[in-house]
Amino acid sequence: MKFKDYYEILGLTRSATQDEVKHAYRKLARKYHPDVSKDPDAEARFKELGEAYAVLKDPEKRAAYDQIGSQWKAGQDFQPPPGWDTGFEFSGGDFGAGPGGEHSDFFEALFGHHFGTGQRGHMRAQGQDHHAKVQIDLLDAYRGAQRSIALRMPELDAEGRVALQERKLDVSIPKGIRAGQHLRLTGQGAPGLGGGAAGDLYLEIVFKPDPKFRADGRDVYANLPLAPWEAALGAAVMAPTPEGPVRLTIPPGSVAGRQLRLKGRGIPGTPPGDLYVVLTIALPPADSEAAREAYRAMAEAFDFNPRQALEE
Amino acid sequence: MNPIAMTYIEGPVVEEEVRFTLVELCQACSAEEEHVLAWVFEGVLEPAGSSPQDWRFSGESLRRARLALRLSQDLEINPPGVALALDLLDEIAALRARLQRAGVR
Repeated sequence: MKFKDYYEILGLTRSATQDEVKHAYRKLARKYHPDVSKDPDAEARFKELGEAYAVLKDPEKRAAYDQIGSQWKAGQDFQPPPGWDTGFEFSGGDFGAGPGGEHSDFFEALFGHHFGTGQRGHMRAQGQDHHAKVQIDLLDAYRGAQRSIALRMPELDAEGRVALQERKLDVSIPKGIRAGQHLRLTGQGAPGLGGGAAGDLYLEIVFKPDPKFRADGRDVYANLPLAPWEAALGAAVMAPTPEGPVRLTIPPGSVAGRQLRLKGRGIPGTPPGDLYVVLTIALPPADSEAAREAYRAMAEAFDFNPRQALEE
Repeated sequence: MNPIAMTYIEGPVVEEEVRFTLVELCQACSAEEEHVLAWVFEGVLEPAGSSPQDWRFSGESLRRARLALRLSQDLEINPPGVALALDLLDEIAALRARLQRAGVR
């Protein structure tokens, strides 16, 4: 595995005080928290920050880490030297999975074997509820769908360590579902303890990004490029919808940005959403003599100054 | 010879068909009762009903409660801070939706 330089991850020198460690973590955690940041790397970075903080904020772990750390650079191949942590005593708790749910191989190699013993005893308890996200196509929301999904859930194994388990589930996606909504699948969460009931699984629905359509609740939006004459004179054109193209009449005198509503062609429901076609004007390229002639003729035919308002 | 029938698991849409009691909401988002009480006090969650035993949380509360829990644990924010953060995140989401509807990438 690769050596992780926890000081570098938090932007600190090795002589940073505990206060400096805390401040550095807080500032970066605010920036990269997945609920706050739209950075595609946010989740990975946030996990990494949490792990670095878990080690450096605890004087025992920090001392142990400093013992090896000074000889390695981030990214180098690394194995913990045997007996590297003799003489260090790691007090009980705080080895639970950090906010990200699981630790890197590097962390596991150094601190993993100090995990607590996990849940034991004769407790009878309901299993924990689990949460997962599933991506579907927009069309699945229009028609309903049946999907086989793969989930990776953090589970406690026999030694009480957190490991990722792979699971496949066959799920019915109901017609009319919207992005951000959850399906509750009873009994599909963590198994119960001592005969207790299994917890539930909550699946959050997310739409795969679509090049043509964007959904907002049950309403769906699509861009429709028009030629200048189609917008100015009106036209009958084929407009895209998730269920196939439909014939649309463009009113004369349409301008860029105008939205035409196709009632009831959004995501089904009571009431169904609408499909909004957003008009854009595409200029034909002046890439032939005939095209340039046509543009010059157009310039002659109109008495048109688009910058009139600016010149007054 | 019968073909093997696939069984597809179904479930209710939480935001439309499910309401939670206080205990059920705590279970669903793995939050301590004291946290949920604090968030109700701050107005982050607005259950129907007059007392904690009678409270019924809308399905939408699940998303808000989980978000509140992540922010309060990961960023060590207190309940009034969480309430402000959720309001601001709602506003950002609404602004993003406006941009998206207008076709801005």
